[in-house]
Amino acid sequence: MSEAGATRQVDGRKLFGRAVGFGRALRKSGLGVDLAAAIDFARALEIVDIGDRNQVRAAGEAVFVRRKDDLPPYHATFDAYWRGRLDLGAEALLEDPWQELIPDDQGQPGAEPPLAGDERIEAGEDQSGMPLPGDHDESAEEGDPDALSISPDAYSKMEALRHREFDRMTPAELRDAERLVDLLVPKLERRRTRRYELHPHGRRIAPRAMFRSNLGTGGEILRWVWRRPVKRPRPLVVICDISGSMERHSRLLLRFVQALAAQSTVHTESFVFGTRLTRVTRLLRDRDRDRALARVADSVTDWAGGTRIGESFHEFNTKWARRTLRTSGVVIVVSDGWDRGDPALVAVEAARLRRNCHRLVWLNPLAGTAGYQPLAAGMRAAFPYIDDFLAAGTVASLERLGEVLAGARAADVRRGSEAAAHVPPVPPEELAPMLPAILPTTPDDPNAPKRIA
Amino acid sequence: MTTSVGDLSTAAGVQAAFRERGYITDGSLATAVFLALQLGRPLLLEGEAGVGKTELAKVLASSLGARLIRLQCYEGLDVNTAVYEWNYPRQMLEIRLLEARGAAEQATAHDIFGPEFLIKRPLLQALESTDGTPPVLLIDEIDRADEEFEAYLLEILSDFQVTVPEIGTIKAEHPPRVILTSNRTREVHDALKRRCLYHWIDYPTQEKEYEIVLARVPTAPEMLARRVVQFVHRLRAVDLTKVPGIAETLDWAAALLSLGATELTPQVVDETLGVVLKYEEDIRHVRGARVRELLAETPASR
Repeated sequence: MSEAGATRQVDGRKLFGRAVGFGRALRKSGLGVDLAAAIDFARALEIVDIGDRNQVRAAGEAVFVRRKDDLPPYHATFDAYWRGRLDLGAEALLEDPWQELIPDDQGQPGAEPPLAGDERIEAGEDQSGMPLPGDHDESAEEGDPDALSISPDAYSKMEALRHREFDRMTPAELRDAERLVDLLVPKLERRRTRRYELHPHGRRIAPRAMFRSNLGTGGEILRWVWRRPVKRPRPLVVICDISGSMERHSRLLLRFVQALAAQSTVHTESFVFGTRLTRVTRLLRDRDRDRALARVADSVTDWAGGTRIGESFHEFNTKWARRTLRTSGVVIVVSDGWDRGDPALVAVEAARLRRNCHRLVWLNPLAGTAGYQPLAAGMRAAFPYIDDFLAAGTVASLERLGEVLAGARAADVRRGSEAAAHVPPVPPEELAPMLPAILPTTPDDPNAPKRIA
Repeated sequence: MTTSVGDLSTAAGVQAAFRERGYITDGSLATAVFLALQLGRPLLLEGEAGVGKTELAKVLASSLGARLIRLQCYEGLDVNTAVYEWNYPRQMLEIRLLEARGAAEQATAHDIFGPEFLIKRPLLQALESTDGTPPVLLIDEIDRADEEFEAYLLEILSDFQVTVPEIGTIKAEHPPRVILTSNRTREVHDALKRRCLYHWIDYPTQEKEYEIVLARVPTAPEMLARRVVQFVHRLRAVDLTKVPGIAETLDWAAALLSLGATELTPQVVDETLGVVLKYEEDIRHVRGARVRELLAETPASR
């Protein structure tokens, strides 16, 4: 270790200013950095050898990075921010790299470096304000800052059209999705956790509480106190096909998941897939729900690329299943089962998915049509592993989903090849008055349920 | 293993002290540990299973010459099993004894809620440690605990104190060194992460893993160790359900050694694949032709 770097007198205020500046640069690249972390970093700079680039890098990593996905943007920002400075020694470290990096900031060229105090106030404001759209989630999602900058012009005209269709949601659709949540949340099947709460109807004795409440009688147990397991809704994972005609149905379900996440304590995770799987959970958390859906559309780069169910499931199974399901979750897949990939792979991965979750529900918009048979290759391959096979696309069918999620296993919801025959078409008289908005707007859509006159 | 206390006052010192105890780190992990010690902050380690997260806490305790207190997390872990519990049977007995002596009238709550009736669970033990050297507290697999417990940890990890209503607040004289580990079966809450320093432990480079094998399985011939590490590294590039960690590499090296194998042949690998791969699909995927392929890619010597 070079003693010069570690023990030299450095200007604490300047150092703090640099730490805050670096923290702010990291915020711009999507890390959830707060002022406390910047203060930690300033303290860390005082005790590591700031002449050693790798130590400074590692110190910042320990302080600022909070999840694995943050690592690539961290290193990219580190390189950009401290570019060349550390190699020039500790002197250069204290020069203000901020000016050249973010020209619109307060540091005018030639002016005095800003005082630490000013920066502190500014950073504090940054912290308390709402995170700005566009500078936050994408990079965390992608892990690669370059991936954000796909310009919308890169889409072909047709893709742009699809894109627009996806994030456009009629008020009626929106209302229906939210109404559904009210209907569903109280009914969701609950899983017993290993945590207990005191309850007069419990079946186990709560010794601690019982002893306390019977102290007055000198340890003579006169009052019994009971406890019972706490129950929680199971986590819900939604995997939506957004290729071709499926996007409309997926959108309804994503809207539903959005509302569910906002109104209840149910853990939800959302993924969309076409040719590849994209996690959109964090994008959907945006409070502005329309903007959230628009960003989901933005984040997906494979519109109209066909469907690869097997590959997408494989990615889910290997990358996400352990982190999102913990074997107790319910998975809802929305897809028509048209697959360009290898059906054998679909079968293998669907089987694995089934083993990883508590229940596998498949929503297929075609299943609502009378006499539907799962003939599409992907659908047929996955079929034996599905717990519940349901129609999709209408609120009536989503109510059916609600019953399934509530734990009902009705006669018409069976696993395997029997299921299809038992999915009843939605009776027209129920459908027509309820949902004009969700019915297909394009009459030439071959996959859409027939509009009832 | 040495028993002397290592010099952990620099990042390089941490690295050297760990190496002395057979734990090979890279510079960034050593810096993270060093900073956690210097700043008095908990260190949250994440990484795939079997990359040495728990082992680090053990090595740290040994380097500091401190006691290791371990709390294994699981769903439903609560204050009574993690922090403290009153010894009900003893309290009952005490009341009966007081009654028998006719002293129950004069007894106060203090008599049955004294420290001698308190069962100290790991977290309280860590805070109350009095032997001068602060202990190393390992909170293992925090992702297995539920969110309620995480919330409870917030007080302990930021102020190093717990409140027992009957006694009062117990504050650590010497705050313990805290290591948390997570396998990422779920995201740990941000509030908890904010109180910690963070490090993601990745799979080591081939060179580093080779050193680890030599350090941990000292009886392994260098040739075999190198071949094993090379094979495992190629295996990690294969699309598997569960990629083998360092722990598996070490187990495998030890297994091969006890079988008396000196060379990796397709047959030996096939027979011992269960040590490295823990999923039936993975084993089926790799066994046979794939093993020969992977072995063929591996040059006999480097």
